[in-house]
Amino acid sequence: MAIKLIANYAKRLGLPGYSSHQFSVSVETELHDVTDIAGESAKLYDTLQKAVDEQIQATGFVPPDTYGMNGASSDHRNGNGQTTNGNGHRPNGEGTPITSKQLDLIKKVCRENNVNKDEVERLSMDMFGIGVSKTNRMQASNLIDALFDQYGRKNGNGHRGKYQQQEQARA
Amino acid sequence: MSAVATTPPEMKRGPRNIDDLIANVSASRLSTWSQCRLKFYFRYILGLHKPKSAALHVGSSVHAVLKFWNKARWRGEKSSLKQLHDVYSSSWGDEQEKQPVEWEAGEEDAERKVGWRLLETYFRESSIQPDEKPEGVEVTVEADLSRHGLPKLIGIIDLVRPGQSTGMGGRIVDFKSSGKTPDPEQAGHLNEIQTTSYSVLYRASTSKVESGIELHHLVKTKNPKLVVSTFEPATENQRTRLFRYLESYVSGLQRKDWIPSPGFQCAACEFYRDCRRWH
Repeated sequence: MAIKLIANYAKRLGLPGYSSHQFSVSVETELHDVTDIAGESAKLYDTLQKAVDEQIQATGFVPPDTYGMNGASSDHRNGNGQTTNGNGHRPNGEGTPITSKQLDLIKKVCRENNVNKDEVERLSMDMFGIGVSKTNRMQASNLIDALFDQYGRKNGNGHRGKYQQQEQARA
Repeated sequence: MSAVATTPPEMKRGPRNIDDLIANVSASRLSTWSQCRLKFYFRYILGLHKPKSAALHVGSSVHAVLKFWNKARWRGEKSSLKQLHDVYSSSWGDEQEKQPVEWEAGEEDAERKVGWRLLETYFRESSIQPDEKPEGVEVTVEADLSRHGLPKLIGIIDLVRPGQSTGMGGRIVDFKSSGKTPDPEQAGHLNEIQTTSYSVLYRASTSKVESGIELHHLVKTKNPKLVVSTFEPATENQRTRLFRYLESYVSGLQRKDWIPSPGFQCAACEFYRDCRRWH
């Protein structure tokens, strides 16, 4: 009966920008000398380690500092430090655009309180000097707060619960 | 670990689910975790809730006035001292109704005066001009860090002052009331989790890099004073440190690692007695 020796060698290395990469090699071999498992194992370890070390030196894509920061990536910036889309146009007044959830919430508050769309646009212009669709996420968040301040916060809408909870936690 | 349960049921905020605590993390939660894991366990996992302290009551009321003042400037309105005092008085009452403080005789009046004196000092000494329009006030923001294998970071930034020129990122401001004058060198270190979190949140929500971070300490000394600690935009190293804190937070919660961290901070910890019973 053949006796098998199964070995796996894995290595994970840190890379700049809080990233890492890893590589592992596995082999399954038949043991020729069952009395020397330790020797066979050591040979395999050495072989696998060399194989992994040789390959893992190729780091491939290494993310820039701002990778994953919702569009703040430096590779999306033009020479003026402004964020651009693929066509070289700024998608919004101030970068990271309002999310569809934020937009939906604004519409919901308007609907529930019979608020005219123009009123919200005016409020956004007063606060930020731009229309609702041009706001960034931070501005949209403040716009939602202003709407809640003006028209009251409906309990149970679920949208702001976590922040209220966090507010308590901060205290 | 053994039970601690000495806190009366009415003082319980309710336990929280570990998965929920891992999904969203705020700077204050992360700071508590790094300060003492057992304190985190009492506060967030068990949901033990101790009576509000007088200092916290003063801080919340002061905070409410600063929020009003910042929002008024946003609307282009100037706030009179009388208006601000009215907001302070009503906020004081609201806070007392929401979470009553067990005042000793004469203590409430004295503390109320302390809070108002702090605000008077702030309005007199602050570098923020009455016509300075904020970029954000008490703004709720979040950063999805899932690409880094980390939880969503959430937070509320007290104030974002405008950048000095068009296109420049704003200055992130956090208001703090304290009984002691902060050490300028230590303020950066002690508040790093918070300031770096705000930087990450700000950048994620605006795609801009903040032009600086300010901590406005309203100090309750005999003669109240305002101490402003200013910091450069968060560095890549600080961001990496924050991510490591987040990583430790996630793995610690998954391991249910609630080991206490005894130190000088224990003297002011509301869970001191609970901690002594832990084994």
